[in-house]
Amino acid sequence: MDNTSLSRRNFLKVSGITGTFLSLGFYLPTNAEKGKIINAADAEKYGVEMNAWIHIDQSGKVTIFDHRAEMGQGSYQAVPQIIAEELEINLNEVNVVFAQGDNKKYGSQITGGSSTVRGSYKNLLNLSATAREMLVQAAANKWVVDKAECYAEGGKVFHKPSGKQMHYGELVDAASKLEAPKNVVLKKRADYKLIGKPLKRLDTPFKTNGTAVFGLDKMIPGMLYAAVERNPRLRGKVKSYDDSAALKVPGVKQVLKVKMGVFSTYREGVAVVASSTWAAIQGKKALKVEWDDSGFEHLNTEDIYKRQAEALQTQEGLPFKKQGDPDGIISKASKKIDVTYETPYQYHACMEPLNCVAHFQGDRLQIWGPIQAPEWVQDFISKEMGLEREKVEVNMTFLGGGFGRKAFMDYPHEASEISKAINAPVQVVWTREDDATQGPYRPGITYRCEGVINNGAIEAFKVKLAGQNNSHWRGGKKDVPNGSASEGFLKPYTDSIKNLAIMDVPFETPIPTMWWRSVYASTNGFAYESFLDELAVEAGKDPLAFRREYLKDERLHKLIDKMEEVSGWKNRKKGEGYGVAITECFASTVGQVVKISKVAGGGVKIDQVWAVMDCGWYVNPDTVRAQVEGSIVMGLGAATTHQVTFKDGMAVDRNFSTYKMPRINEIPPIEIHIMENDENAGGVGEPGLPAFAPALTNAIFDLTGKRIRKLPFSLGSV
Amino acid sequence: MSFLKTKARSFFSKRTAAILSLMIFGVAVASSAFRESDQAMMREITFEKENKDSVESVKAFMDVYTVLMSPRCMNCHPAGDVPLQGDDSHLHAMGPKRGRDGKGVYAMKCTNCHQPTNTPGLHTPPGNPNWHLPPADMKMVFQGKTPHELAKQLVDKNQNGHKDTKQLLEHAHDSLVLAGWNPGEGRTLPPMSHKDFVKAWTTWIKKGAYAPAPTTN
Amino acid sequence: MAKIKLNINNKDFVLDADPQMPLLWAIRDLAGLKGTKYGCGVAQCGACVVHLNGEAVRSCVTKISRAEGQKVVTIEGLSQDNNHPVQKAWQEVDVPQCGYCHSGQIMSAAVLLREKPEPTDQDIDDAMAGNICRCGTYLRIRKAIHLASELQKTARKG
Repeated sequence: MDNTSLSRRNFLKVSGITGTFLSLGFYLPTNAEKGKIINAADAEKYGVEMNAWIHIDQSGKVTIFDHRAEMGQGSYQAVPQIIAEELEINLNEVNVVFAQGDNKKYGSQITGGSSTVRGSYKNLLNLSATAREMLVQAAANKWVVDKAECYAEGGKVFHKPSGKQMHYGELVDAASKLEAPKNVVLKKRADYKLIGKPLKRLDTPFKTNGTAVFGLDKMIPGMLYAAVERNPRLRGKVKSYDDSAALKVPGVKQVLKVKMGVFSTYREGVAVVASSTWAAIQGKKALKVEWDDSGFEHLNTEDIYKRQAEALQTQEGLPFKKQGDPDGIISKASKKIDVTYETPYQYHACMEPLNCVAHFQGDRLQIWGPIQAPEWVQDFISKEMGLEREKVEVNMTFLGGGFGRKAFMDYPHEASEISKAINAPVQVVWTREDDATQGPYRPGITYRCEGVINNGAIEAFKVKLAGQNNSHWRGGKKDVPNGSASEGFLKPYTDSIKNLAIMDVPFETPIPTMWWRSVYASTNGFAYESFLDELAVEAGKDPLAFRREYLKDERLHKLIDKMEEVSGWKNRKKGEGYGVAITECFASTVGQVVKISKVAGGGVKIDQVWAVMDCGWYVNPDTVRAQVEGSIVMGLGAATTHQVTFKDGMAVDRNFSTYKMPRINEIPPIEIHIMENDENAGGVGEPGLPAFAPALTNAIFDLTGKRIRKLPFSLGSV
Repeated sequence: MSFLKTKARSFFSKRTAAILSLMIFGVAVASSAFRESDQAMMREITFEKENKDSVESVKAFMDVYTVLMSPRCMNCHPAGDVPLQGDDSHLHAMGPKRGRDGKGVYAMKCTNCHQPTNTPGLHTPPGNPNWHLPPADMKMVFQGKTPHELAKQLVDKNQNGHKDTKQLLEHAHDSLVLAGWNPGEGRTLPPMSHKDFVKAWTTWIKKGAYAPAPTTN
Repeated sequence: MAKIKLNINNKDFVLDADPQMPLLWAIRDLAGLKGTKYGCGVAQCGACVVHLNGEAVRSCVTKISRAEGQKVVTIEGLSQDNNHPVQKAWQEVDVPQCGYCHSGQIMSAAVLLREKPEPTDQDIDDAMAGNICRCGTYLRIRKAIHLASELQKTARKG
């Protein structure tokens, strides 16, 4: 099943839709804050080409456009599950196709910030309820009865008193002529039939028989394959290259210099175009390239952390948040905690390496790929290549993992440049080594944490961090602190700690950096939540009770209650190896308790992880659990093995042989609980990650008295 | 695992000197490994009357020992059921198990990754048509063995894969033994050439297959 | 280049390929079967596992010449209708997230269940530690293999 997106014209062709249909979309006029729901029949009035989210044809077949990328997080499931609820259709009768990149039609499509559901669920509920109401109205009109006597269920409209019924398909003609009603009434949570239920994912069957089409699986007629040797120093240019050996590799057709935009810089490479992926890779290996690496520093990992440590000792930094007089208290205190935490650079390591198919056709460009941010790709490439925005067609395939790396424009841009240069459709395949060594990476950060405890309470709290600011790569101002300096740290702490400072010490390197699952929370969480644990120990308090004291928030207290309940926290004995951490990001809070024990012969092992997720309103509890499970496994790798090491400006680890992934035999039992409440929907794909590392290292302190302040560390050598 | 690794390493760095001195000054306590093994084995080596110089035999074995304990040989003669990898002899990353026949288990059979020849590139599977570990009923462990223990094990038919002297001598030319000298990109070679190894191996056996004395600590 | 005969999923293919080409790329680019995935190219991750005469080989390091004239089964040919007990269990447990590694996971698990119809957790570790999943679906993989074992047993009795 090819789930690549379809233009409406193609969609009609593929679906065989002729004649009338009801097609509803959500249209966000550029000058309006609130969107409008429109019927396809009205599309012209608004001057937009309808590419609706919901199509119902005369046979009653329902097609839903998923406007977000499916990279494992479950949008392919969540979006239809939301729509089916208010539209009153059976989920298994729905077709789902990925929408093309176009924010005029779909609003933001950036699949990042755990925003698919939380960012669009209200719109989606409204849209589907509107469609339902139009169908019910159409039926009432046909039967000449009061609409209040009619209801929708299972893709049909029923007239209660007479028992008459009509299939949606029979009603689309009439419904499509109605004006979309305003202010439809949405269901209450208690009345949901689908939302909140652990329904099966719609994409699973395609993922068990090899039919799901990922970016790397996309094939178009006449397509060639390319592999690119890029500057291993992440920046810089091609000085010269010798392609004589590459051109002798059977299947190699052409070798050319190519560039791609990486933020505001360009990275140059040499592309080998061939008739198969293998030939392209062999040709790439046979290239001899001389690089121009001038104009930027070639750093070693040690340089980076040495400089961060120095900066933290010598500079105050920019205040992200400052209240009371933490400096005065710290400087006068007879006893203070002054500790340093350190986190490494991280690589996304999606199982599907980067790749992209591009077909340049003069004034028009078609792109297919595992793309998290189709509209950014559309924007960026149209500017870079001097094309009209509308002529750049960006199609999302399934993504074999994303984690932030695929919300970027470099790899589609490079593929487009190659297609243009060779005047043919091409698929650019990144080898694992390319993927691992080319960045951008999550920045590694050093934190200096100072605190004073007096009478069992936090009297002063100060965190200074030195690490790269992702936003600088996108033109962010350099005279303001990193807006994510406390991402992950629960806001109520900053309300109840009177003397507090969070300072960002500016730090730059030539290494491009970007978001990585849960972004700054993934590193901040470790520093802040470990430091809080140190303060709790200093205060002589139970670490969870200590947190409760400072988190003056009913919702958080319920989360803590749940953590205590499920982990048996209150029955544990001190020193048994229990650790706790709570973090918040993307509007969801996750608390984790980790239990560890000593291993005969040295080291520790994780016996159990309990995670409590409060994401407010949610669609599918099974997806929520899956995301938290996955986040914990990714967090385990990040805490205990993963670090991108630089030597002479190059990333050292090139493949899983040395960048070791957690494997099935290393995964502890994980128990996940979801808080039930009616709060607004929060993110699901990322918030489960940050609390894991500090909960683990806090458990290690509880068991061994050893405080881990630097990631990664080896469980075997604790 | 790091425990074992450390042990093996410290063995080289700290004990070698002691062993060598024992070997040179303590020939009297060096015992023939064959003499301590079963009688059948003893009978088979009677053809080696011409020279039973225990000093030369032991000296040759110490050369053999450095090869057998090098990662290229020891990695597939692990103490546990998981082979070792790399010059630092860490546990094989995917944790493949020996299995009954030494060829792996289920979806993790040696030849699923290890091809008849080396796969090009760094950190890629080295190859041999017959890639395997010793079988479960004859584990032939090298890892963690002292020279004394290893020498005795190598000539004990119940521990050496039922090899008689002739087969033992031939084993130096086994294709899997030879693979140690063609280990694939990025892997260090055993500490001596295959030719020198064969020479040491042959000398050790032909001079009586003496085992170095057990160390006192 | 040479003409190489492969039998993939009970279908004969004659592929014009360099005999050194890994089976993975022959299957994907030449035979056009895209269910088998490229993950690392060096036998580290297991995304490329196919069955060669029933064994779960890593096609990224297996030269096409090794498979010549042999029986190759890919994820597309594991069952007629997505109904191998492992596939059914994977669907029932909703194992995949991004799904990219699961062709390989399923092909590995199928060999485990053939050779050890009622695997223990240790057997599952021993069989599956070669397959990486970045989404972290490992706990579900374990659960699904146990379920597949049950499904297989029921099917055999039935």
